[in-house]
Amino acid sequence: MKHPHWWTLDVEAPFTIGPRELPGRVWTASGCFAYGLTGHDIAAQDIDSPYAGIGAVVTKTVTPQPRPGNPMPRLVEMPVGAINSIGLENVGFEAFIAETLPALAELAVPTVVSLAATRPEEFGSMVAELHAAGRDMPTWHGVELNLSCPNVAEGGHDFGSSPETVAACVAAARSHLPDRALIAKLTPNVARVAPLAAAAAEAGCDAIAAINTVVGLDVDLKTGRPVLPRRFGGFSGAGIRPIALAKVDEIVREVGIPVVGIGGIDTAEDALKFFALGCVAIQVGTAQMRDPFAAARIVQDLRRAES
Amino acid sequence: MGLLTPTTWDLTGRVTANAPVSSGLLRLDVELPRSVTFEPGQFAMLNLTGAGQLVFRRPFSILASDGRTMSFLYRVVGRGTERLADLEPGEAVDCLAPLGKPFAAPDAATPPVVILAGGVGLPPLHAWLSRHGRPGDLACFGGRDGGDVPWSLLSDEWRVSVDRDVDIPAGRQAHHGLVTELALSELERDGDPGPRLVMACGPTPLLRAAAMLARDRDWPCLVSLEEHMGCGYGVCKGCVVPVRLDGPGDSGWRNANSCTEGPVFDAADLDWERFGAHHATGGAA
Ligand SMILES: Cc1cc2nc3c(=O)[nH]c(=O)nc-3n(C[C@H](O)[C@H](O)[C@H](O)COP(=O)(O)OP(=O)(O)OC[C@H]3O[C@@H](n4cnc5c(N)ncnc54)[C@H](O)[C@@H]3O)c2cc1C
Ligand SMILES: Cc1cc2nc3c(=O)[nH]c(=O)nc-3n(C[C@H](O)[C@H](O)[C@H](O)COP(=O)(O)O)c2cc1C
Ligand code: FES
Repeated sequence: MKHPHWWTLDVEAPFTIGPRELPGRVWTASGCFAYGLTGHDIAAQDIDSPYAGIGAVVTKTVTPQPRPGNPMPRLVEMPVGAINSIGLENVGFEAFIAETLPALAELAVPTVVSLAATRPEEFGSMVAELHAAGRDMPTWHGVELNLSCPNVAEGGHDFGSSPETVAACVAAARSHLPDRALIAKLTPNVARVAPLAAAAAEAGCDAIAAINTVVGLDVDLKTGRPVLPRRFGGFSGAGIRPIALAKVDEIVREVGIPVVGIGGIDTAEDALKFFALGCVAIQVGTAQMRDPFAAARIVQDLRRAES
Repeated sequence: MGLLTPTTWDLTGRVTANAPVSSGLLRLDVELPRSVTFEPGQFAMLNLTGAGQLVFRRPFSILASDGRTMSFLYRVVGRGTERLADLEPGEAVDCLAPLGKPFAAPDAATPPVVILAGGVGLPPLHAWLSRHGRPGDLACFGGRDGGDVPWSLLSDEWRVSVDRDVDIPAGRQAHHGLVTELALSELERDGDPGPRLVMACGPTPLLRAAAMLARDRDWPCLVSLEEHMGCGYGVCKGCVVPVRLDGPGDSGWRNANSCTEGPVFDAADLDWERFGAHHATGGAA
């Protein structure tokens, strides 16, 4: 790839987000790389590991109680992405702290723990417990508040679509997280995202991550019914990249704090577009599901761009 | 989480052959840049490269791996398999393999095996029989009709059944009916067959019938599921199947990833009442 004249970042140089440093600016997105742990030892001929050069793994979102998730099928492939209805299946916060967090400590790469809840107090108490359990874990970088998952929306709109809710959740988490990064992940399913970003920044988060999936639906022409049993799902992948870039632009121009760009990033060129708008880091979601080396290859290609 | 399987390689290979082996089934041979070992029952996630690339790779059981060549057997059912069928020798294929839990190798305590393979469910069981088969094992393949059966892959040890009794080649035989009926008639020809291990792969109705056949006789049964998948390597939760919780008398269940905890499951562990409602209606995705 050709090196654009404006491109000066080193995506593998340590940089600060929140109170601590991270080793890189290309991360894996929540829900698309589990907890960075799978049952497989994965190798490729031309690259060291799926973690090579990446800055952080953002975990699958953890909720206060275990969730069985939505019925199958949970994924609909589109020509330019996918609609998912996983339904935040996860083992629940207690099991996460007891079993997953210690395993994450063994990973060489830093982790950002994604949390979702339906009340600000739940965010507060999860963050407090996580802080107690993870305080001595050097690779635990911080928390990403999932304020945006459309799959578990009630009443047809996303949980985090009002500035008041966003502010309350961020404030509740912040008060228990003095020395780790706090990132607010916002929904794109609102007319204007800037008021949400402003509320999150005001309430004390260290960075904004955007975007989560875009509400979507597909119809099965054989049956005439929506393909997904829950009708709606979250649309992700290449098709949402223009939406993501527009939302990110709106956020960057609104707030002074760092912004982490997400949405349809599959190549170094895609990543550069987010960096060009002022993002400090980016996350790779759907592409990581297709290719365990997606984030690592983006780092490699951005590195080539610098030389 | 320890390493459960041989190392999974993410490689770009070249098609060396891609041609029909029956009216409905095609065999794809891919030459990889290195040799990759696998256990029968494991699968690969395949994709095209460049403009034909799919958003998600597609899962295919490994039929064989010989040196650097890995072979697959597939049926065209949708966009991805259509594109696969268009591949010419020399074209590139992305291959993430091997993945998933295999059919275990037999040990001294393993009873003779009854193999029930339906259609594209053949590869894992074909691979198992070639590698681990012992005298006394019974292998049965079920196809749609004589034209659909990949006769060239099926040595004489294979018994064959067909839904429609047409196009049976000269010198070959096929039972008209269900593959489970064929297996039972073979087994019970000389009276009580004694304990068997049933291993099945194919459409969901075949898997249910296999599980039932085994349960009625108190035989162990392993089934390989072809559940929808996203990543195929355990990171997305797009492939879950309901399994029973272990406790005695426990009526609870949990979701298992069919890509990492399967695709081979003990039939007794599956919650059959919850499993596969979407398969009955043709599903989606
Ligand atoms: C572990 C595993 C091993 C497999 N091995 C083989 C094999 O050896 N040979 C072979 O031909 N096929 C195999 N399959 C099935 C194969 O993956 C699907 O046929 C393929 O993904 C369809 O892709 P498509 O784009 O052509 O179809 P799509 O357009 O995605 O779908 C076409 C139709 O197939 C259904 N479908 C799609 N994916 C699946 C799935 N995973 N399970 C059930 N129904 C599905 C859809 O509901 C739809 O009706 C295997 C599946 C799994 C999970
Ligand atoms: C299968 C799947 C599961 C996801 N699960 C989560 C989740 O648990 N929490 C979350 O904040 N985002 C989740 N996301 C959203 C992604 O993290 C990301 O924000 C979104 O997919 C857009 O990025 P992409 O286009 O690179 O995929 C999920 C996305 C997919 C495709
Ligand atoms: S297909 Fe993604 S977890 Fe199994």
